[in-house]
Amino acid sequence: MFAKFVIISAALILANCHAVASEGNAVLPENFVAAAQRSTHTNNWAVLVDASRFWFNYRHVANVLSIYRSVKRLGIPDSQIILMIADDMACNARNPRPGQVYNNANQHINVYGDDVEVDYRGYEVTVENFVRLLTGRTQNGTARSKKLLSDAGSNVLIYLTGHGGDGFLKFQDSEEITSQELADGIQQMWEKKRYNELFFMVDTCQAASLYEKFTSPNVLAVASSLVGEDSLSHHVDPSIGVYMIDRYTYYALEFLEKVQPFSKRTIGEFLQVCPKRVCISTVGVRKDLYRRDPHKVPITDFFGAIRPTRVSTDRINVTLANEDDFVVDKDDLVAKKPFKIVMESQFPSELFK
Amino acid sequence: MGLLSDPSISTQSKLVDGLARHVRKVCYALYVAGVAWFFCLALPEFNHGTYLSENALSPGLVYPEIRIDANRLAIQLLEELQRERKDHLSTTPHAWIAAKMNEFGLETHTHNYTLRYPFGGGKEYHGKNIYGILRAPRIASTEGIVFAAPYRAASSVHTDISASVPLLLAFADFARRKNYWAKDLIFLVTEQEQLGMQAWLEAYHDGDRDLDVSKAYLRPGNLPARAGSLQAALNIEVQDLEIDHVDVRIEGLNGKLPNLDMFNLVQRIMAREGIASGYKQAPRKKRRHSQSAFEQNLRQMLTMLASQSSGVPNGNHGLFHRYRIDALTIAANRRATHATLKGSPGSAAVPLLKAIEGIARSLNNLLERFHQSFFFYVIVNNDRYISIGDYMPALVALVACAFVKAYLTWSTLPALNAELETAAGLVRTQELNQELELEQEQEQKMQFEADSDTDKFELPYGSVLIYLTATLLIGFLCNVLPLQQYFLEIPMGAAPLTTSVLSFLSLIGFILPFVVVLPPGGLELLHVAFLLIYGCALIVIGLLNFALGFFAAVLTVPLVISLETKEENSRSTLRNSIRLVTLVMNPMMVIYVIVLAMTFYQFPELPLQKIMLRAATAAMDASAYGLIDSVIYGNWLYFVICTIFLPLWIICWTLALSKRRDYADYLDFDESPSTTPQPKVKTN
Repeated sequence: MFAKFVIISAALILANCHAVASEGNAVLPENFVAAAQRSTHTNNWAVLVDASRFWFNYRHVANVLSIYRSVKRLGIPDSQIILMIADDMACNARNPRPGQVYNNANQHINVYGDDVEVDYRGYEVTVENFVRLLTGRTQNGTARSKKLLSDAGSNVLIYLTGHGGDGFLKFQDSEEITSQELADGIQQMWEKKRYNELFFMVDTCQAASLYEKFTSPNVLAVASSLVGEDSLSHHVDPSIGVYMIDRYTYYALEFLEKVQPFSKRTIGEFLQVCPKRVCISTVGVRKDLYRRDPHKVPITDFFGAIRPTRVSTDRINVTLANEDDFVVDKDDLVAKKPFKIVMESQFPSELFK
Repeated sequence: MGLLSDPSISTQSKLVDGLARHVRKVCYALYVAGVAWFFCLALPEFNHGTYLSENALSPGLVYPEIRIDANRLAIQLLEELQRERKDHLSTTPHAWIAAKMNEFGLETHTHNYTLRYPFGGGKEYHGKNIYGILRAPRIASTEGIVFAAPYRAASSVHTDISASVPLLLAFADFARRKNYWAKDLIFLVTEQEQLGMQAWLEAYHDGDRDLDVSKAYLRPGNLPARAGSLQAALNIEVQDLEIDHVDVRIEGLNGKLPNLDMFNLVQRIMAREGIASGYKQAPRKKRRHSQSAFEQNLRQMLTMLASQSSGVPNGNHGLFHRYRIDALTIAANRRATHATLKGSPGSAAVPLLKAIEGIARSLNNLLERFHQSFFFYVIVNNDRYISIGDYMPALVALVACAFVKAYLTWSTLPALNAELETAAGLVRTQELNQELELEQEQEQKMQFEADSDTDKFELPYGSVLIYLTATLLIGFLCNVLPLQQYFLEIPMGAAPLTTSVLSFLSLIGFILPFVVVLPPGGLELLHVAFLLIYGCALIVIGLLNFALGFFAAVLTVPLVISLETKEENSRSTLRNSIRLVTLVMNPMMVIYVIVLAMTFYQFPELPLQKIMLRAATAAMDASAYGLIDSVIYGNWLYFVICTIFLPLWIICWTLALSKRRDYADYLDFDESPSTTPQPKVKTN
C-alpha cells in the first residue's frame, strides 16, 4: 500500500514537469499522465474585480466588463459570476454616452449592455468584502448573489484590475490589499475546499508582485507586468476623453473573442497573447503551483462552464401539484366584507361651486 | 531669572566669542549667500521642468468639438455689441447681455451691489453684474466652474476688451448643447473692473449670511441663484477676435497664485491649439532672442516677483484666490497687422474657442479642488518653475542674518554689563594686570561673575517693552486713524488725508528717540528685540508673499547688519551715513523713491522738478489706494507697511541715533526701570 502511494506521488510530481511528460519518458505510464492532465472540475466560478474609482480610470471598468462579457458568453451564468465594480462609469455625469461603457474607440460593443449584474458596486468594493468573499466568511444576511458558493470541484477565475504597486493593489483610492493577504485568502480557500483549480489573472502596474506569495496548490497565475514595470493603457477615445482599455486586457480579449464554447484553444496559448512588443510590459506567468500542462488545458476550463448533468437509469417519480391547491375557496371570498375607501378631495372644488 | 535667559550666566564658548567679534562679516557672508542663491535659481540646473500632477485633468484627451459656427456666432455678437456700445458710452448694456444669455437657454440673473466710498464726504456707487448658470444636466448642483469676462464701457481709459463678452457667449451657446458637464458652468459678465468681481464673489460666498453690513464699504447684496462650491475660474480678456498671442496672468491678491497645475493645463492646451501663449508673453516681433537663457530667466523671475510684491491682482482672477478658488486670466492680445493673417478672418477665433473648450473639459474632469501641484512657485520660463523649497533658502539666508546677529549681540550683553558696572564704579576690585588683553578680559569676566551675585546689574526690560509698545501703537494708529468718522467728515480727498495722517505719525516716530532716551543697556536690549521682531516679521511675510518679503529683505538687511549701538568704536562718518540711509528707508520715503523711479521710467522727457512733483502726488495716491485696497479687497500691503515696517523703522531710527544718557545720569540711577519716562505718543 505504501509502495503504491510512493509510485503515484512520484508520478504526479514528474507529471508536473513538462519536459519529462512531453518526451514520453518511459518512467510514467500513459494512464497516469492522462489522469493527471484530465480536468476534474464540476463547475465554474468567476470573481471579476475592478478596484479603482474615478472617471479617469474608465479603462479599468471597461477591462472588467469586457472579461465579464467573455465569461458570460462562454457559458458561466450570472449566478456564478461575482462582479465587483468600484465606480459607476456608465452613469457618470461626465460620460457623453450615458448608460454605456465601451472598450474600444470604435464603439462597436457596449460592454455595459442590457444585462450586467453588478454584485458589489461603488463603496461596497473593499478589501474586507473581497477577502470575505474569497474565504466564504461573509457576514450574516449577505445576499446569495454576493457569495462565492464554490466547492472542491469548482474551477475559479479571479480577475483583478486597478492601480497596483510592488506587493499591493489599491482599492478605492483609500486602502490596499497586499500580496500576503491575497495569498492567505487563497490558502484558506484551498483549506476550506473552495476550489479545484484557480486561475489568477491580474492587470495592474507591477502585477507580478501580487502572486509572488502564493503557496496553495493548483493555482495558475498570470500578470500583465513584472515587478518594476508599468502596465500601460491601449488607446484613447477622443470623443469620450478617457483611456479606453489596458493593453494586456485588450490583447487577452482579442483572443477570447475568437473562442467559442467548444473551442480547442488552450490556456497555454492564452498565456502568450500579449508579447512584449505589443504589451510593452512583460507578462508574468506562475506555473509552479499548477500540476497540469497549460498547453493541454482547454481555455474553457476557466472561462467557460460545465453545466452539471447526470445520467440516471432509475425511475424518477415526479409529483405534480394537485389542481385543488390552486382553486380558491369561494366561501372565503364571500366572507370578506367589502369596505369603502373615502378619499379626501385634493382641491377645495366645492367652495367654487 | 531663568537659566537660559539670564545673560549674566556666562555660557559663552570661544567660538561664540570669536564670532561675536566678526558678527558683521558673518552676516554679510550670509546675505551674499542668499542673494547668490537667488541668482543661481535662474540657471537651468536649479529649476525644474513643469509637469501635470493631477491625473483627473487628462488634458488634450478629447478632440475639441467646437466648430466654425461658434466663431460666426461670436462675430455676429460682436457686431451687435458694437452697435449697443454706441448707445451705452459709459454704462454696460445689461439688457442686451441678459437677453442673449436668456436666448441661449442659460439661467440668467442680475446682481446689484453698492459701494459706499468713505472719503471726501462719502459717495455711493451702484453696479450691476449679469450671470447665467448652465446647470449640469445629470448631477446635483454641488460644484461649479466660473467663466468670467469683464466688460469695459466705451469711455473707459483701459484697453478695449469688448470681444470678451461675445466670445464668452459663443462658448456658452456651444456648452449648452453638451450633456457631459459634471459641474455647473457660470458665465459671468462683471463691470467696473475688479470691484464688480469682488462684489460678486462676496455676494456668492457671504451674501446669504446675516452679516453686519452697516459698516462695510462694499455692500455686495445677495445672489438669486448659486451653483455650489466653485472649483475653478477662468477669466477671459480678449481684445479682438483676431489674436496674436495669449498672455496668461496668474498673480492674485496678496501675491497668491493659482495651482501650478492650472497654469500648466492652460499652457498645454494652448500649445495644442497652436496659440502663442505664456506667462508675460510678448508680441511676436518684440520677442528677443539675443539674451542668454540666464538673463531671460532672471528677468522673468524678477518681473513676476515685482508684480506679486504689491499684492494687487493683475486681473479679475486674483480675487478668486481669496476664496481658495484657483483662477487665472487668459488675456488675448490683438494682432497688430493684418498682413500676416493666415486663415480666413471668419475662423480667426476658432483656436481660442477650442482652447477654452479644452480647458473647460479638463476642469470638468476635476474630482476635487486643485491640490496636487504647487501653490507657491516662481515661473522662470513658460515650461520651467522654481518651487517653494528651492527659493525659500534665499530668503532664509537673508533672514538668518537678523537671528545670528541677535544671538551674538545677546551673547555680548554680560560683557557689556561688566563694562557698565566698571564705568559706574560699582566694581572696584580690578587688579592692574596688563600682560595680555585676552587674559585681562577673562579675568574681568571672572571677577564680574564673582561679583554678580552681590550687586547684579538688571537690564531694563520694562522700559524697552514700553518703548516697543509705543512704536507698535503708532503703527496701529496708522491703520485706524484715516478711517475714523471725524477724519472722514473732513472734506478732503483720500490721498491728502491718508498722506497727512501717515506723515504725522512718521514724524512722531522720528521725534520719539529724541524725546525718550532709554536707560543704560536699553539700546542693546532694544537692538536684540528689534532683530528678533524683524526676522520673524520678514519670514512670515515671506511665507505669505515671498516677493514682498524677499524684496524687503534685500533692501533692508544690509542696513540692519551695519546698525551698531556700541559707542566706543563708532566712526562718525559711518555712523552718519547709517543714519542717512535709515532716514531714506522710512516706508514713506521708500514708496516715494519707488514711485519716482517709475515716473522717471515712464516720462523721461519731463524736467526733474516736474517728475518729482508728479511722483509726490502719485505716491500720495498710492498710499490712498493702498488703504482703499485694504478695506475693500483685503489687500494687506497697507497693513504690513503700517503695522510692521513703520514701527520697525522707528526702532531702527532709534538705534541709528543711539541717544544715551550721560554716565552721570545713571550713577544716581536706582536700577529700577519703572522710572523711565512714558513715551509721548498720545498727541492725537
